[in-house]
Amino acid sequence: MTMGKARKYMAIVALLAAVALVVTGCGGSGSSAGGGATGAVKVTIGIGAPLTDGAVALGKGMVRGANLAITQANASQEVKDLGLTIASVEGDDKGDPTTGGNVATQFASNPTLVGVMGHLNSGVTRVAVKIYNQANIVQVSPANTAVDLTQMGMTNYFRVCANDAVQGPAGADYAFKTGGFKKAFVVDDSTPYGVGLADEWGKQFAADGGAVAGREKTSDKDTDFKSLVTKIKAAGIDIVYYGGIYNSGALLSKQLKEGGVNVPLMGGDGLFDPEYIKLAGAAIAKGDLATSVGLPTAQMPKGQDFIAAYKAAYPSDEIAAYDAYSFDAANAIIKAIVSVAKSMGADKVTTTEGKKAIIAAVAKTNFEGVSGTVSFDAHGDTTNKAITVYTVGADGAWAPVSK
Amino acid sequence: MADTKAAAVMPTPTRKKLPPKTIVAYSILAAVLVLVPVLVQSATGWEFIVRIFVIVGIWVLLALGLNIVVGYAGLLDLGYIAFYAMGGYAGVIIGQAVSHWTGGATYFLMLIPAALAGALTGVALGFPVLRLRGDYLAIVTLGFGEIVRICLNNNLFGLSNGASGLPYGNQVMALPFGAQWLQDNIRFQTPLGFFQFGPNMYWYVIVVMLVLGAIFVIRRLDDSRLGRAWVAMRENEVAAEACGINIRTQKLWAFSLGALSGGIAGVTFAYVQQFISPESFTFMESVFVVCIIVIGGMGSIKGVIAGALLIKGVPDLIQGLAVAGVLKMPAEMQSLMSNYRFLVFGLLMVVMMAVRPQGIIPSSRRARELLPEDGRILAEEDMQEWDVENRANTEPDDV
Amino acid sequence: MSYLLSQLINGITLGGLYALVALGYTLVYGILLMINFAHSELFMAGGYVGLGVLKVLSDGAVATGPLAFMKPAQTFFNSGMLGFVALMAATFLISAVIVGLLGVLIERFAYRPLRHAPRLAPLISAIGVSIFLQNAVLLWVSSKQLPYSRADGTAFVTSHTLLKFGGVEITTMQVFIVVTSLLLLLFLDTFVARTRIGRAMRATSQDREAAGLMGVDINSVIALAFFIGPALGAVAGVFNGMYYGSVKYNMGFIPGIKSFTAAVVGGIGNLRGAMLGGFLLGIVESLAGGFLETGYKDVIAFIVLVLVLIFRPGGLLGEAVAEKV
Repeated sequence: MTMGKARKYMAIVALLAAVALVVTGCGGSGSSAGGGATGAVKVTIGIGAPLTDGAVALGKGMVRGANLAITQANASQEVKDLGLTIASVEGDDKGDPTTGGNVATQFASNPTLVGVMGHLNSGVTRVAVKIYNQANIVQVSPANTAVDLTQMGMTNYFRVCANDAVQGPAGADYAFKTGGFKKAFVVDDSTPYGVGLADEWGKQFAADGGAVAGREKTSDKDTDFKSLVTKIKAAGIDIVYYGGIYNSGALLSKQLKEGGVNVPLMGGDGLFDPEYIKLAGAAIAKGDLATSVGLPTAQMPKGQDFIAAYKAAYPSDEIAAYDAYSFDAANAIIKAIVSVAKSMGADKVTTTEGKKAIIAAVAKTNFEGVSGTVSFDAHGDTTNKAITVYTVGADGAWAPVSK
Repeated sequence: MADTKAAAVMPTPTRKKLPPKTIVAYSILAAVLVLVPVLVQSATGWEFIVRIFVIVGIWVLLALGLNIVVGYAGLLDLGYIAFYAMGGYAGVIIGQAVSHWTGGATYFLMLIPAALAGALTGVALGFPVLRLRGDYLAIVTLGFGEIVRICLNNNLFGLSNGASGLPYGNQVMALPFGAQWLQDNIRFQTPLGFFQFGPNMYWYVIVVMLVLGAIFVIRRLDDSRLGRAWVAMRENEVAAEACGINIRTQKLWAFSLGALSGGIAGVTFAYVQQFISPESFTFMESVFVVCIIVIGGMGSIKGVIAGALLIKGVPDLIQGLAVAGVLKMPAEMQSLMSNYRFLVFGLLMVVMMAVRPQGIIPSSRRARELLPEDGRILAEEDMQEWDVENRANTEPDDV
Repeated sequence: MSYLLSQLINGITLGGLYALVALGYTLVYGILLMINFAHSELFMAGGYVGLGVLKVLSDGAVATGPLAFMKPAQTFFNSGMLGFVALMAATFLISAVIVGLLGVLIERFAYRPLRHAPRLAPLISAIGVSIFLQNAVLLWVSSKQLPYSRADGTAFVTSHTLLKFGGVEITTMQVFIVVTSLLLLLFLDTFVARTRIGRAMRATSQDREAAGLMGVDINSVIALAFFIGPALGAVAGVFNGMYYGSVKYNMGFIPGIKSFTAAVVGGIGNLRGAMLGGFLLGIVESLAGGFLETGYKDVIAFIVLVLVLIFRPGGLLGEAVAEKV
């Protein structure tokens, strides 16, 4: 037996010992965490969002919005009287389906977890929702817009935002009918979100009587649009539609205008972010358009309350696109938990029957949220199909267009 | 476990027939591997650990495949993930077309087209590019990987449904037979706690089988004429050619066998996840596989497994434990960890190349190639030569 | 016709950027026979360093707190033609030097220990450096895409239309990029062909050991190649930021691969070849984007790479080199 071999076996033994330590260590602390909750019944809501990779700014906003709702709920007398403590747990899906599947399984392994507020990316939801479905966990997404998600036959899936088939056509209608644009160039960023939105927009714009002069794909990581700009310029259009996120969208807008194509760039809620204006520069972004789901938060009956509470809780953060929806989505779950706790008893909430009852309760949701009335149709789509068109004003901020 | 050293040096006649000892050893290994997650899950109630094992297993399979190409044949393939994608997409597209008739057997049947898709792509790419020098080959394969991904993303030929992935809308992928029944009926009390057969357990068993199968085949290959030709080729291409080895054919074999394994991993991944989309096949994933092999140990099966556990398993496990509330970690800390892991991998690759190019658990052959001056390895080599000359075949020939 | 010309101009500008980056690949390859996979990250680093320098020198929002002393200097840099020229010179010089030193550092710690290792070892090490640098920027600078402008949104360099005929426009920025890259090539070409150090570099690339025996300080020559290459990459990085308007930690990968393609197309190891390859690839890509689908423009660049390597591995200006035995 040589030195090398002896060392090798030692390494294997050490590795096994380490694994054993990790496993036993986990078991120990796990049980103590479970026993720690005294008095109140602990119910957990999972928050699934991209937190370290992907659209991090939007993901962190989602966490803030949902946590705000949970904090408010825990402070309310109703929840206290029921003997409930609502906890939240964050899962970082990185915007990637496989990681999302891991997060979903982690959520499903948590015995106190009854609902998930989340997933920003439709691709992540495609994998995760099946795992939640098996575990009877309700999922309420604040941001998924892929049309077919509610046609997958998943009874536990709901979303509080309107899908591409609402948002795209609404944008196209505005562009053609109100904006008076007649000839468009449609670009997407090759992500499921961007492609879906661009397709729906283009279809409606053509149906309205507008002309779609061209349809091109770019990548969400592209920064060089010069050749595309020349192409768009040659097409002689009066509006460019971009299905995608603000990062590349801002650069496209910038390069369009530098290239002498002085037409507005229009996009979906992926562009509706303060970062868009920062990246493109206020002077260039001025006049660009973005649709977003629901009515402007500040104009909603509950909007001012939400903004005040948000600023109090997170003084240093700006409200991102999906924060209000995350707040509403979390509230939909919380209200379902409360109603189930009332009818079945707080201790039954985390049982399989309780979880099934929560799914049924979410399906019957009906309350005034920050983004409007929160209620769902038979497929789980929101009945709130209001879309607002925003434009970048002279002050360098998004503002709703005056109709 | 296994000791390949002796076998590597001498072509032992006993290897021709499969000794019952080997079968027993593989069976015991399989049993242990299956038992571990059962125990872990029943002790903690975390099904997600099993899923992590499944994903790690798929990556072991991937890395074992690339290991044939990089570790044995010495060809750096930076676009290996393309074969994984080809296997996955072939399995899903064909599977969805025939699942009406095949039902629960779909996955198992789709292993064949997936393996073929991988291997044929491997041959198609390998045929023109394999005469390129090592580093050129690396870049060409990288380009190929990106071409495949972009074409899938742009829905070339209308087959892949572009960025939205497959299956679409209300289509579902058939569950393999037995999966539902096992979930509904297998639940029992273990000394550690209650065990319920979850959806991931089924896949775990399949993945363990596939990995063991791959290990078995690779070990046999390693000792075969082909395996020895690869080593000769890797050590010195010109000398190998002069000895009558057809370099082109050998490389093509390595490339297509590696690709085949990638294809199988791909279809398994697709069916585990019940969904497939181009974003799972980026260049970073290719780098991940290379990373696993480099850090684990090129050409070493144990190294590759250790690498996959370390690179794919540990970060996911830490994240999972944090989400489960066991590892008390603030969210900031969590995101720091998951961000720093790439930084650490990058650094590890640099440090490994300088300090320990043979990897954590090196293959002894490969170590000799990379570190010829290492006295310890030279001594070991001498020892083995002595073994061969003086007490041939006295080393226990276990698994 | 004017459309074709416009696309050609786009392509030539893009080609200028590729050429600058490709010079770095080819220089290192010529001397060490290794692909400096981390070169694309040095290009990215150039973009970031340039942005930092520009902010310190001319963004009023930065000149507060400890940097308040920069105020008078900023007034100079922001006023008049002289100030602008000084600003550009300072930005490019500082970025080039910092990134060049970073290149030397990388060579010293990641590649030099592997000089006698098999060929795959430095390549893997380079991939490691590349991952490390990307994530270092992601973690320690910003994970966001940063605008290449002052805090108030004004660009550091405003591009004007220089020439306009028919429907074709040429901007100052485009001319600036192409002229600079041509000048840098000319400089480098002369440097390598005419100077003593240049001769040492050529000698090293032909036969490292023999050159060492002839009294060439191999380590310095290699370090110099690792200074010049990344410095040129940094210049391209700054241009890239100004021209396209932003920097992001992962911006280097795709241009890096394409520049490598350019170097290969021209004949790796050959400086003029890298330049030619860069311009060719830029034009091919722009025309492909302009006349075919934009979504496939990266694919076309990769296909060019694969085809050139298969049919003319020596490149357009390179000689077919047989593998040394």
